[in-house]
Amino acid sequence: MSLSAWLELLASGLITGGVYALVAIGLNLQYGLMRILNISHGEFLMLGAFATWWAQAQLGISPLVMLPVSFLLLMGVGLVVHRLCFRRLAATSPNVDVFEARSLMIGFGLMFFVQNFALLLWGGDLRGYDYLTDPVVIGGAQFSGNRLLVFGCALLFSLALIALLRFTLLGKGVRALMQSPTGAQLVGIDTRRLHPLMFGIGLGLSGVAGCLLSMTYAITPSMGEPYTVTALIVITLGGFGSMTGSLLGGLLLGVVEALGMHFMSPSLKMLLSYGVFIAVLLTRPNGLFKR
Amino acid sequence: MTDRGLLGRDVLVLLALTGWGLALPHYASEFVVSLGLTCLMYVTLSTSWSLFCGSTRYLSLATSAFFGLGAYASALGLERQLPWASVIVIGAAIAVGVAIVMGAAVLHLRGTYFAVLTFGMTELIRHALAYFEKQVSGTVGRVLTTVPEGATVYLTVLALAVLALATSIVVRRSRFGLAMSGIGADEQRAQTLGVNTRLVKLAGFAITAGFAGAAGAAMAVRWTYIDPQTVFNPFIGFQTVLIALIGGAATLWGPLIAAIVFSLLAETLRLQLPQLYMMALGLLLILSVLYLPGGLASLRWQTVTGWWRGAGARLARGALAWRVRGAGRG
Amino acid sequence: MAECLLEACDVTVRFGGLIAVDNVSASFEAGELAGIIGPNGAGKTTFFNAISGVIAPTSGRLIASGRDLTGQRPHAYARHGIARTFQTPRVFAEMTVAANVAFGLKFAGRGRPAPWLLRDADGILELIGLADRAAMPAAGITPSQQRLLEIGMALATRPRLLLLDEVAAGLTESELESMAQLIRRIRSELDLAVVWIEHAVTTLLRHVERVLVLHQGRKIADGPPAVVVRDAEVIEAYLGDEMVETGPTGPTAHDGRAPAGAHA
Repeated sequence: MSLSAWLELLASGLITGGVYALVAIGLNLQYGLMRILNISHGEFLMLGAFATWWAQAQLGISPLVMLPVSFLLLMGVGLVVHRLCFRRLAATSPNVDVFEARSLMIGFGLMFFVQNFALLLWGGDLRGYDYLTDPVVIGGAQFSGNRLLVFGCALLFSLALIALLRFTLLGKGVRALMQSPTGAQLVGIDTRRLHPLMFGIGLGLSGVAGCLLSMTYAITPSMGEPYTVTALIVITLGGFGSMTGSLLGGLLLGVVEALGMHFMSPSLKMLLSYGVFIAVLLTRPNGLFKR
Repeated sequence: MTDRGLLGRDVLVLLALTGWGLALPHYASEFVVSLGLTCLMYVTLSTSWSLFCGSTRYLSLATSAFFGLGAYASALGLERQLPWASVIVIGAAIAVGVAIVMGAAVLHLRGTYFAVLTFGMTELIRHALAYFEKQVSGTVGRVLTTVPEGATVYLTVLALAVLALATSIVVRRSRFGLAMSGIGADEQRAQTLGVNTRLVKLAGFAITAGFAGAAGAAMAVRWTYIDPQTVFNPFIGFQTVLIALIGGAATLWGPLIAAIVFSLLAETLRLQLPQLYMMALGLLLILSVLYLPGGLASLRWQTVTGWWRGAGARLARGALAWRVRGAGRG
Repeated sequence: MAECLLEACDVTVRFGGLIAVDNVSASFEAGELAGIIGPNGAGKTTFFNAISGVIAPTSGRLIASGRDLTGQRPHAYARHGIARTFQTPRVFAEMTVAANVAFGLKFAGRGRPAPWLLRDADGILELIGLADRAAMPAAGITPSQQRLLEIGMALATRPRLLLLDEVAAGLTESELESMAQLIRRIRSELDLAVVWIEHAVTTLLRHVERVLVLHQGRKIADGPPAVVVRDAEVIEAYLGDEMVETGPTGPTAHDGRAPAGAHA
């Protein structure tokens, strides 16, 4: 295989990986901070994709404009969902393990609810639109413009969140809460505001990922679930609670998948993904990158 | 009610249900019998799921895996002209075998990890089987040609449901059931009091798997064509879990009642408004986890009056706050 | 020579880079009443975790009544007559008090020789003084009653060796006395060995016959209380700790007050 073909394969993997990373970071934020394993995460990605498509098809709004809009929209949804579902749960659960188990179940309920809501509204047919499909040539390899945009934005949002967590006061508060919930509250960090906000941001990132995906792929109400699963695999690889781990893990998984799909059949690829997932969970439950 | 009295009540209800189940095909339409069959399948699945997962609080999402394995065992067995009874037993046995292997690997992990892992393993098995079928057998799905009569299938599933309920009745009163409750309450504490938790969990998980495998083997003949997508459909596992949780996973009759209610709902709604049914299912699960974590079976008159009073108190507080604000202004 | 119920040989427990228990050796004989003390972080509870099977030691051996139980899980220890309580009472919250006690009887306690006091759940409830609370859910009784329930649950396994982890913490003066009386009664009437970790050192030293002192994971003393409190290393370990009054007169009943000259 020629060098440029290798690079194209690698780059293709990185592009997919970028989206994986974005979704995973959102999920990780929710789990690492609040121990909410939101198994319906992918459904909100799907909502973001549909919102973008709908805005573009009905109102003629450019998907680029929909990027921040879908973030804010899904963030709002996240605030509502947290207020309605998880806040009461936190108050009534006797301990963390029970809370985790119950939030997992709520996640299931949400998954059913949101996915079928979308099915009801928009039907099961594949939808899509064309945006920036003209190819761009970089170093001998060809990419369509929209895929480059997807990668760029995914990376941008991921890094923005990591920077937020590392450099801002808000971010430091979040990280403190992750490390020691009681200790953080003792010094005045307010979980009642921070939890819904971070939950919302997590969903917002998911919405952005959906918006980005809608530019390059067809959308359907069932598109979310595979991304939830992939995000789960990524946060397992990268470590629960580690955002940088999710970024690296996502990119890595994207590349591994691209290579796998090229050299093996697609069904073997799924087998491989799950196999890796289970192996990591069993042998290094704290993730590959966490020390 | 004394413990003896409760046992008597449970056995009586079980006998009544058995009788009703046996009588159903003789006076009801084919549609109703088909409905009954689905219902009995979910009774089997959710009762056996609750037996283990309800008391130990280990949420297994592997039901679809065991069901599918049983279905495939059935298909392969029928192809080889094996008798019906052994097909069911083989389906159960394969499921139990896989459960023991799976369980040995993952049962030492706590709640969320366990749930996610069983889900991952289910998908792994599904994809592995799909790959195997394509590469080795050269097929995507299988057609079932020699199938037993509808009546045989119905009676088999009825027997499985009754067996599952009977097992649940017996286990709840046994030391094994107490051990599982202890594990659910505080696993480490139970260990220090002498419970061999690893063995108990493996046994419970294996029982759940056995019933799911047997159910899958029996139900496979309903579809004349099976492929991994259909029989390993995660929805079967999800619905089982939903039914058990909404009905009350730690109780005996909760899953049964919920299974009946949901089968009825499913058949009536699913044809016209399938999405609405699923949305209702999701919403019901959320509501029950938030307000009734013990499931419908834990619903007591005090709980309902408690909500009523709570809502009333909130209204009263709101009205008072309104009045105070008004008085301040005036 | 009394029967050796548990022998810990060079037990080390390591968590990553942290050594919580460092080469501790000790043996406990039938019928003795021993205490384990040490400043915070000395590894006392970790040691208990190791000798009850909750944690597998990184190295070393644990032999119970001649059988090597190293690396086995807690239920094996329970079935060999080693019972323990937890520092924070871990009761089965939704079961009744009686059911909590009966639990141990049905598992580790089954088939073990049963002394009269431990004949059944009612007997044990009477012993620990919770007979009138038998039908209440365990979550509904007071924390000090839960402490007693913890002991009852441990006794239900009909042990030969009872490990008590800080059962006196937070009790009032009179509650402390009745707890101590209960422990002495358990030891003598049931022919049990009791090993008692306590932070309220002065109380402990009044009642036990033998004291082990742990400091930073190592055992630095092991002997009768009068001798141990004069040990130089023990005094140094506790310097700055308010718990023990030092000096030529030995421990007196100055509970928790800082002795003159020692800094807080």
